[in-house]
Amino acid sequence: MVKILIILPFIVGMIAFFLPKKVGRKLLVIIGAIHLITSILLWINRPEMPFPDYFALTPEGLLSLLVISFLFFLISIYSAAYLEYEETISSLSNIHNQSLPIPEPSQIPHNEQIKSENIFIGSMLIFLSTMTMVTLSDHIMVMWIAIEATTIASAPLIYSHRTTASLEATWKYVIICSVGIAMALLGSIFIAIAMDVGKINVSVSFSALISVAKELDPIWLKTGFVFILVGYGTKMGLAPMHTWVPDAHSEAPSPASALLSGVLLNCAYLGIFKTNKIMHSAGLGEFSGNILIAFGLISIVAAATFILKQTEYKRLLAYSSIENMGIIAFGTGIGGMGAYGAILCLIHHSLIKSSLFLTSGNILLGYGTKFIKKTGCMVKFMPKSFTAFFAGFTGIAGFPPFGIFIGEFFIIMAAFRSGHFFEAAIFILMLCIIFAGFSTQMMKISFGPPSDNESSKVKTAHITSKIEKDAAMIFPQYILLITSIILCFWMPDSLYETVVSAVAFMGGM
Amino acid sequence: MIYSVDTVLSLALLSSLFALGSSRLPGLIKVVGFQGIVVSIVPIFIDHNVTSTAVTFYMFTMTIRGVVIPLCIYLLIKKIAIRREVQPIIGYNASLFAGLILIVAASIINKQLVLPATTSSVLLMPTAITILVTGMFILMVRRNAIAMVLGYLMMENGIYLVGTTFSMGTHHIVEFGILLDVLAGVMIMAIMLENMKQQFDDVDTAFLSELKE
Repeated sequence: MVKILIILPFIVGMIAFFLPKKVGRKLLVIIGAIHLITSILLWINRPEMPFPDYFALTPEGLLSLLVISFLFFLISIYSAAYLEYEETISSLSNIHNQSLPIPEPSQIPHNEQIKSENIFIGSMLIFLSTMTMVTLSDHIMVMWIAIEATTIASAPLIYSHRTTASLEATWKYVIICSVGIAMALLGSIFIAIAMDVGKINVSVSFSALISVAKELDPIWLKTGFVFILVGYGTKMGLAPMHTWVPDAHSEAPSPASALLSGVLLNCAYLGIFKTNKIMHSAGLGEFSGNILIAFGLISIVAAATFILKQTEYKRLLAYSSIENMGIIAFGTGIGGMGAYGAILCLIHHSLIKSSLFLTSGNILLGYGTKFIKKTGCMVKFMPKSFTAFFAGFTGIAGFPPFGIFIGEFFIIMAAFRSGHFFEAAIFILMLCIIFAGFSTQMMKISFGPPSDNESSKVKTAHITSKIEKDAAMIFPQYILLITSIILCFWMPDSLYETVVSAVAFMGGM
Repeated sequence: MIYSVDTVLSLALLSSLFALGSSRLPGLIKVVGFQGIVVSIVPIFIDHNVTSTAVTFYMFTMTIRGVVIPLCIYLLIKKIAIRREVQPIIGYNASLFAGLILIVAASIINKQLVLPATTSSVLLMPTAITILVTGMFILMVRRNAIAMVLGYLMMENGIYLVGTTFSMGTHHIVEFGILLDVLAGVMIMAIMLENMKQQFDDVDTAFLSELKE
């Protein structure tokens, strides 16, 4: 069962490189469905893992796996439809360019198209396989291998449009993440050295290390933690290593951005979370907690500064991801109830943010621009997408009835309880600033006056109305948001127990 | 006390100085390839019970790090690079001086470290730190994208050296996975470089400045 989860998407992805695109689109959805069903079965049955030295079922891993599977399935449905629309629009604009001898640069609608679709689909599937491997790996080095593999698998996704901007984004992504993750490899080696210096001989897996954490050499362990935090923090999008996040998210096609933001960042967080568990078991929880709090706050402050003056909506969403990763790191650092809140935020951020990124794909197709000032009056032009977008915004900004509210509430309570008054004050202030910045931009997109560039809008008007009627372009977003609301009011017992057992090491509830 | 492995390591240490002084890409590639070979044979000297599987694995590492990857990049240069300078942001003399300071600093840091008792070398940690930081340095102060990839490879070489300090045991399969990742990463970077050449007709990273706040 576990082998199916990892190997099947990988092999099918390899095959998809050579398949015609019509087949590829269907294959994407089918594999997504198989993966989701297998993950649910894995959740229910919890079978023995093959290669127990390297792989294990951990509560946090299972949680992430389920989130990945669920998101991937919905995103695959959306992608299949999205790819079709991108093709139609780009062929439309080509005809338009031929009929008009001198098209004004500003009037050409957005005609970026995914150039080789089979590479896109193949990379999506391999990306799924590598992320599954991250969630199931228990060996500290295998985890590193899997996380580095996600970087390699997702790079072609970002470069899908073959523009100079996407080339720059991909280059930055590959270089920054590879170098960052190399730091995490060094950190993992330091932890292995901590084991050698402490004269222990167990397998270098997280579960084994947690059981012998007290005997590990504390200095090497601390150094290792810092390097791992910097390394995986780069991939997770913690400031000041976050610079690749807005570029990659704005240049990647929307389904890929949704995957990057919704699940890739979680995968990197998993590495930090597991190392933090070792630190807590070794009695160094305060050390690791303080560093996490610092990085978390820096990320939130950085996001607040950049959100205020943002001109592109996809970059805006990317900065909001940085903010949320900061919140999650902050909550993990506080520990106890804060860690519980962080896991809640993690789940709900995945659900809501991927929904937002998918809707941003609709906006991009409808308006043909990435700039906020060229959009406007979305409530009139795309009412259904608007509902998803605005609901997603209220969710990500931390309003009830969405889960982020509860998560942040728990984190703030835990911060006050543990006496982090100053940190909590900055945290709340920054959340307010981010809310103000985010909502201004959101109002411009939703209710603001439509841009004067009417001519391009008329051309795409019938496409816009088609998108609005197409279930595959609207319902994935709705399902994601509704899941988030449902999880707020009713959490299945097994899910609740899994979250609680995941944070049990950090002081519990 | 003098260990045989230190002779080999001193070569790696010197190679990082050569890398800092190289002004042209082919020279830098040769240095990095040489370093890859030296770094991969170090474990043979450290490991106390060398098995045949281990030796096969070390040879394999050596082929990938010392031959395959440098050769790939060399072929890439033949294909795409018109200008072969590494385009320094910080000059060669200043770089070399920084390298010397780095070696001293690495030796001082080494004195503070508590290493596993099995380690039988004086130069291992200083060399590893020097190579690693030199790689990062090259990555930062050379504008040529190929030189940046080579800097990344030097970093990986340094990390591999650090990895040899803890008892190797039976995790060759894991090391193999890491090696594959590095190889795949370099391949992706190579593809990006080719595209960069097509788009800008150069591999100068100064062209990549479209996206900013």
